[in-house]
Amino acid sequence: MKPVIALTKGRVEKQFLAYLEERGVDSTPLVEKGRKLSVETDQAIYFFAKGVDVTTYVQHGIADLGIVGEDIIAEFQPDVFNLFPLPFGACKMAVAAEKDKVWPDRKKRIASKYTNITKQYYLEKGESVDIIKLEGSVELAPLLGLADAIVDIVETGTTLKENGLEVIEDIQHFTARVIANRSSLKMKRNILQPYLSVLQEEVAQS
Amino acid sequence: MFLPAGSRDLTGRQLVNRVAIYEKFQSVVNLRNYQAIETPVIEYSTTFTNPYAGMTLKKMLKWFDEEGEIEVLRPDWTIAVARALANQQSDQQKWAYAGSVFKKDHAGVESHQAGIEIIRTPGLFGEYESLFTAVRFLRELGLHQYSIELGHTEIFETFISSLELDEAAASQIRQAMHDKRKDEVYRLVKEAGNEETAEAVAALADAFGGTAILDKFAGEWENNSKLLPVIQELQQLAAALEELGQDVIVDLGRVKQLPYYNGAMFRGFLADSGAECFSGGRYDELYEQFGGKMSAVGLAFDMDVLATALPAPEKQERICLLTDEKGLIAAEALRYKYPDAVVDVRTEATAENYDRVYKVVQSGEGYEVVEK
Repeated sequence: MKPVIALTKGRVEKQFLAYLEERGVDSTPLVEKGRKLSVETDQAIYFFAKGVDVTTYVQHGIADLGIVGEDIIAEFQPDVFNLFPLPFGACKMAVAAEKDKVWPDRKKRIASKYTNITKQYYLEKGESVDIIKLEGSVELAPLLGLADAIVDIVETGTTLKENGLEVIEDIQHFTARVIANRSSLKMKRNILQPYLSVLQEEVAQS
Repeated sequence: MFLPAGSRDLTGRQLVNRVAIYEKFQSVVNLRNYQAIETPVIEYSTTFTNPYAGMTLKKMLKWFDEEGEIEVLRPDWTIAVARALANQQSDQQKWAYAGSVFKKDHAGVESHQAGIEIIRTPGLFGEYESLFTAVRFLRELGLHQYSIELGHTEIFETFISSLELDEAAASQIRQAMHDKRKDEVYRLVKEAGNEETAEAVAALADAFGGTAILDKFAGEWENNSKLLPVIQELQQLAAALEELGQDVIVDLGRVKQLPYYNGAMFRGFLADSGAECFSGGRYDELYEQFGGKMSAVGLAFDMDVLATALPAPEKQERICLLTDEKGLIAAEALRYKYPDAVVDVRTEATAENYDRVYKVVQSGEGYEVVEK
């Protein structure tokens, strides 16, 4: 039996494969997967999914482990073990608004893809706001007057800058993380532990 | 017509299995001298939401009664039974219950449980009795491939109480530990205390696996007057279960999820699916909340998980009698002749599988049953 690993497609996937290579794990079959959604290597069975789906597959025990951004975990709060951070995918969740924003004299409107994180943040802050759920290009919302500010992932800040926005408050810093199904981690400990050890290994950075 | 998400009609095997499991449960607990108890399906929310019981109202099915009180559908058996038994004067120690609980975050809202509560017993009597009852019940069901996990609330709580945190901070660390989020546990404990405690608490996140973990920590906590007895308690329970031939695993980093647990915690994981088939532990403080000072240990079985896992029943002989209304008396006679077989009556041949098929044919004045 091999560990079954759900991997977030896209940038996290590429960085994770590079991370495996650094640890001497041959990830050629994963790099050369073409359009396949599932690949078996000598060490594990991998499949590729969207971040939030990775948490769903792990929660239901279809995958034993998952590699996913912490922003997804914070937003969707899956019932899984949230084991340890990986040294890539660093970003932060922040509130951003137009430069020199003049705040209107009413309840603020905040646009975000991350409505749960936004709600939790303003709840803890003790400020009532109206949250508008958007699916993408959240930066548009303040420019077009849909919202007063946005809550979004900021990596380099370039997109914000190019659209005349700036970070006004940091909410939380995130990286990619390893998650595990609650019973797999225990019932399949013998097959998961060697794999997890490789991921936690310190290697000399060249 | 459409059903709400998760709700389903049950027919056939699943339903038969569940009925069979309830029957087996009753017979196992009867033979161990448990007394049955049933609490009402509707109660006031405060029974479950008070600080000791600690359940969240959000997840309950609720409404206002005519006086404006919030009533709920039973979200938990243990708390309801504690309320009922805390002020009971009888000296009955062992109680058993079976029925549904309702929670919004559970797929299908309704789930089926059966369980036991053991009160007013000294030492580890309640823990042994709970675990042995579980082993016996699962054995009677023909389920052998599972592991029992042991944990203890006082390992994590001992470390945390030494930090003298407020409840919000403590529960933040507890949640991180529940998620085995080692880096966060370390960070939070270090912030609240010191590096040494942070390392000790963070190490608990990895302290799960076979019973060898217990020996390791018994050595490590050799001079710790609070933690060594806890490990020794778990060692005794593990040894008893292993003597019964049961696979035991431990998780020293397991934390209480409801505030009323204060001692050993245990649960069963099925080997095939990894599903949790029972869970329980010690919760003396819960009874105290309802005005009774006594020891209390118990566990609840997830009857839905068990029903899915139940091995196929032994095959029964199936007999079919082809007849019209006139042959029904003959069919009844056939049932007496084969008391252990399934005897069905059909008016015409079907594609269904039977071991034997009989037919009623006219013979002179009366009818005769002949095998086809």
